[in-house]
Parts: sequence; C-alpha cells; structure tokens
Amino acid sequence: MIERWALVSGLRGDLETYDLIQRDLKKTRGVTSLFVLGDLVGPERNCDALLDRLKNPHSGDLKPDCIYGWWEEQLLAERGFRGERKADALRLSQGEDAVSALLNTVNPSHLKWLASLQFGFIELDCALIHGSSSDVGDNLTSETSPLILLDRLTRLNVNRLFTARSTKQFHLELTGGGINSQVKDLNGKREQQQEVPKRSVIGIGAGLNYTLYDVGSDKTHFLTAGSKTNPKRKGFA
Amino acid sequence: MNHAIISCLHANLPATEAVLNDIDRQGIDTITCLGDLVGYGPQPNEVVELIRKRDIATCQGCWDEDIIDGLNACECSYPSQLAERRGHLAHQWTDDQLTDENKSFLASLPTSLRRDRLLFVHGSPNSQHEYLLPDMDAFAALERVETAGADILFCGHTHQPYVRELRDGSIRVRLQNADHECDQGEELTLPMRKIVNAGSVGEPRHGSTNATYVIHNDATDEVEIKEVPYDVGRTCQAIVEAGLPKVFAWRLSHGFEFAEQAEDASHVCER
Repeated sequence: MIERWALVSGLRGDLETYDLIQRDLKKTRGVTSLFVLGDLVGPERNCDALLDRLKNPHSGDLKPDCIYGWWEEQLLAERGFRGERKADALRLSQGEDAVSALLNTVNPSHLKWLASLQFGFIELDCALIHGSSSDVGDNLTSETSPLILLDRLTRLNVNRLFTARSTKQFHLELTGGGINSQVKDLNGKREQQQEVPKRSVIGIGAGLNYTLYDVGSDKTHFLTAGSKTNPKRKGFA
Repeated sequence: MNHAIISCLHANLPATEAVLNDIDRQGIDTITCLGDLVGYGPQPNEVVELIRKRDIATCQGCWDEDIIDGLNACECSYPSQLAERRGHLAHQWTDDQLTDENKSFLASLPTSLRRDRLLFVHGSPNSQHEYLLPDMDAFAALERVETAGADILFCGHTHQPYVRELRDGSIRVRLQNADHECDQGEELTLPMRKIVNAGSVGEPRHGSTNATYVIHNDATDEVEIKEVPYDVGRTCQAIVEAGLPKVFAWRLSHGFEFAEQAEDASHVCER
C-alpha cells in the first residue's frame, strides 16, 4: 500500500482553507497521514473555529497531527507559557498592535492544547518542523546557504527536513560534494575526509499551498487546494 | 604579531600564574581569555582578580554565566546524576565564595569578542554550552565559523586543545520549486576556515596534567599549542581543603575527563 503524507501549514485560523484541503485529500489516493506544521493561528481572523475542528475532526476528516509554529510560539509566550519570555519577536517585527490582535483571535480555552503541541515530529528518517532544528522561527528557503541546510539536517541526523516557516514550496536536494579537514593536537596531525550525504530540505508551503510526500518513492508533490493540478506533473523524485 | 589565547581557568591559581608567566616570558602582550574563570577549582576570587588586574580581554564562559544567571541549563550539562550533584556542589561553593564585585565582573563579560576576522567565544557562536569537539561533523563545524562571519574561530569549553583546518569543501544541490521544472543543479564552493581550541589552563583533559593555551600569529595564521607544567599538587591540596569533591583533585592529577563529556557535539542547550 502506498504511504502518502499530506503536509500543511500557515492556516492562521482559516477554516475555509482547511476545509478545501480536507476535500482535496478525500479525493487523493493513498493519503495516510496529515501533518499540520504550525501556524494554526494568526492575527488576521478569529481562530477558534479552526482550532475546534483540528481538535475534534469531522467525520470523514483525515485526522491531523499538529505541531506548534512561530505564531503559536508568540501567542504562548505572551500568555505566559514560555517562562519569562514574551512575544518579543512579534513585538519587534510588527509592533504592539499585532500582539494585541493575536491575543484577541484565540480563546484562552485553547491555550492548554496549543501548549501541549510538540516542536516537531521525527517520522522514519524525516524531521517535520515548522522552522528547523535550530529554532521554530528559522526561515529556511531555497536561497538559504546549503551549508546551513546541511547543518539543520545534521543536528537531527535525518535525511529529509520538512519545513514551513518560509511559506514557500521547494525541494532542495543535496546531491554531492565533500570537505577535507586536518586536526592538529598534542598527539600530532590527522586528516579527515567527509562526503555530503544525500539529504533534502523541503519547503511545504502555507495556506492553500500544501505538499504531498510519497514515502515509498520519496517523491514530493506541490499542490494548491481547490485547483485541478495533477500531482504527477509537479512530482520531484 | 603573536597573541595568546587562554581558556577554562577554573579557579586554578597556580596554573593561571604559570601560564601567564610563560606568555610574559615570550614577550606577548596581547592575551584573550575565553572564559570559565571559575568552577571546580578552589581559588575563584584570586583568579578573577588576576584577570581583572591584568586587564585581559575576556568573554563569558558557561560557568561564569551559570554563576550569574543560576543553574538553568537543560539536561545537557551533565552526563549523569552523580556528575550533576558534584557540579551543583561546586556551583554552590563557588557562588558562596565569590565577592559581589567579582560576580559583577563576570556578569559584565561579553559572550564573544571579535578582532577583524578573528572571533573569540567560549563554547561556540551559538552558545557557551555547545562543545565543538575536534572530530565533530566537518560541515557543522564549518557552519559555526562561516555563519558567525569569521575566518578563524577561537573556542574552549572542551578542555582539549586542537587546531582544525576545514578546506576544499563543496556542496552540490538540485532545486525544484513549485512552479519550475528541476534545475540542472549547482555547486557551492565552501571557504577555508579554521577552528582553534585553546584547551584549558585550570583543568586540562587532554591526557596530561600540564596547563594548555595557544599562540596565534596573525600575520602567518600559524598556531602553536603550548603546554605548561605547574604545581598540580598545590591546587589538589587546596581543592581538598576547601571541601570540594575529591574527584576534582583526582582528575586534575590525572589530566583527563572523568565521565563529564558531551557525546552529542551538535546539541545546543535549550535553556
């Protein structure tokens, strides 16, 4: 049986978008898991209905496995769930009004559930994280230095890192290369050679743009909910 | 010009004095200290005051940070509960001994120092608690130096002196975007960078009881690892007399680590 994951992020309270994705998935063969990689909430709209749906899926919904993202981190920090930290990153980047707006979009009854969400999932040899192994706000894109991408993969010792923070859809594969190093200590010198392992970083998109991943064939499909795009045309082996 | 880099003094006054004397004998007047002035050893005030008196440029180590901020590192600090208990005992003893003035000095230390293309940190540019071990993943090691915008990264924390040159690196990539077909791929050539670990003045763990430090020539980029013998017995006796765990004296007299070593070099403390 084909194992196929659906990877979603950046819903930011948009129940309509989530509903469109669920309808897409019902029509797509072989989707066994739905991972929502954070940013369930956002400051633009009331998020309670979406959070209710994620916590209590409708009959026929693919049950979502959620982790927290940058917006949840800001919300939880401001609400006192992160020790002494507050929503400093949001305050710095978008100002006090954005912090207030975010607080107003989520009923406090959801906070405990949001605080229970994990930083990421390790599934097989894949890491599923909102940002990266470095930070929930780590903004990895196809333009990010491959050296940094390799570091983020190495920290978790995984072959594939699925990330959502950038909101972009991309599949960047590290296909080769290497490095030499020489270590000198009080015992003398030794040379080391290391090759680049074949690993990938996949940006899964946000909102209507989501990703399917075929576990058996290691193919990704970048999709847009509600469109009639054939997954095969955008596949990437 | 030669300059000296010292690290991990750990409240060991005889070792600190011996190393500074060795540096003075060579006519080197630029010294940089990579922190951990205190912890484990029996003379925290004396060592801090010596560094202050000599006006040595110093960045903050993990022990210096913990004394100021309290022990709030994640579980990465100690590999066992026994080691953790010993560490906490030493932390409490040091906290009790240090004067407010010396604590203020430790609190004032920066987490990094930069001179042109040279960067000085205690653990890594990410954290005072991160170990850059000599055999860690070469790409991850290069990433630490390159992301910090340095050519040479000077660090300590591991108590094992080494010089690691990372060169001839490249990474080939292939990209697929949502709207484009797969590209033909490209190759990124990585820059040559160097990590220099200064070892430890006050608690060597490289297999010898000698204190270690390094000398770097900023014209040639040559690095020399220096070993300096000192009166280990004097420090060991002071450890025992202070009531600190005797194992601190035992391992000092053997010059190697006793259990407390991070296995995961890539781990970053999530305090």
